[in-house]
Amino acid sequence: MLPSTLDELIDALRVLPGVGPKSAQRMAYHLLQRDQAGARRLSAALEQAVQRIRHCARCNTFTEDEVCSRCASGRRDASLLCVVEMPADLNRMEETHLYSGMYYVLMGRVSPLDGIGPRELKLDRLLARATDGLVQEVILATNFTNEGEATSHYIGEMLKSRGLKVSRIARGLPVGGELEHTDSGTIAQALVERRLL
Amino acid sequence: MSGRNRVDGAAAYVLHSHPYRETSLIVEAFSRDHGRVGLVARGARRPHSQLRGLLMAFAPLELSWFGGGEVRTLAKAEWQGGQPLLTGQALLVGYYLNELLLRLLPRDDAHPGLFQAYGEVVRQLALSPDSGGAASLRRFELTLLQELGYGVSLEHEAEGGEAVVAEGLYAYLPERGPVRVADAEAASPLFTGKALLAMARDDYADAETLHQAKTLMRHLLGHTLGGQALHTRRVFMEMQEL
Ligand SMILES: [Zn+2]
Repeated sequence: MLPSTLDELIDALRVLPGVGPKSAQRMAYHLLQRDQAGARRLSAALEQAVQRIRHCARCNTFTEDEVCSRCASGRRDASLLCVVEMPADLNRMEETHLYSGMYYVLMGRVSPLDGIGPRELKLDRLLARATDGLVQEVILATNFTNEGEATSHYIGEMLKSRGLKVSRIARGLPVGGELEHTDSGTIAQALVERRLL
Repeated sequence: MSGRNRVDGAAAYVLHSHPYRETSLIVEAFSRDHGRVGLVARGARRPHSQLRGLLMAFAPLELSWFGGGEVRTLAKAEWQGGQPLLTGQALLVGYYLNELLLRLLPRDDAHPGLFQAYGEVVRQLALSPDSGGAASLRRFELTLLQELGYGVSLEHEAEGGEAVVAEGLYAYLPERGPVRVADAEAASPLFTGKALLAMARDDYADAETLHQAKTLMRHLLGHTLGGQALHTRRVFMEMQEL
């Protein structure tokens, strides 16, 4: 029999994605036996984060403030709103140095087979954000997976019916991509979505 | 158990997948000759995995796998092409098909006829998303019920086996068949003999047949699902609301 606090720790570690009973046990033993200082730091960091991190009232990403610094800066184009699935996607968009509009982070995607729909994603918040009267165009930058497509289709329909201009980022060959070395699925979709010159 | 069982180049579709451990996926696939199979795709969630873009639902694939037991190991996936990915409303219909198969089809039972009907709807949805492939969708639902072992009688009544007549009105008892009723108030949902006979002939040219087939399939699938609501249907309803 394990002490109940140890049992509780092992059980708690299993909230992490991809962590089963065995890995949870390994982590618990490591923290308690080999790295007690690390365990205290982890515990304090978790406590702080859970208390202080919340969702930006404008873009829904993680922040410690009511409105995140990007949304509050006043230096961005308020007529453009780019919708992405996760904060990591927002960072990738920023790295392009080509986009100076606002963002909305869904914190997920529509996945009908997992029972994740508009309600779970709180899409009414996106609707309120996009119809603030300043946004002119919504750019859908969800992933090119089936779930990303379903998400973008649904949001597109919802916003177009409100008279907003809605666009979808393009899909095709990667920059510098050569047909010879590109997978058939990508080439096929690039062909289907070809554009007139 | 044939532990080293290896299957090569099986015609299949991915129905759904979910993350497994750090970098892998568990894929639920529907193959023509081996039915529904669970496969581990090792490393498929690594950033530059070749498998990642291949294992998408609704794309015709050839899959190879090995191993015995409940979940096998995916060895290879090859993209077959010939149709674009599903988009828009057609994609949502696709999810509905996949949920039906995931809920109702047991693993490791081959259903080549159902596989063909599935491939046909997905193809219709991909190539002409606006027409929605309504007839092929109804054909798929009917084939699914039949392959699951629910005889769907369309030409003979449940009681006494009397022939269904075109001008008759019928209620439908799940797992039993049509029952003739005296007038339109007697039952709901209600079907015309004409529509039932058209379905039996696989003739969906008439819009009224399509409409009644949709109602009948919903009635029968609802019974088969034992009153459990489909996720996909709930999500569609929410989508209509906003
Ligand atoms: Zn913000």
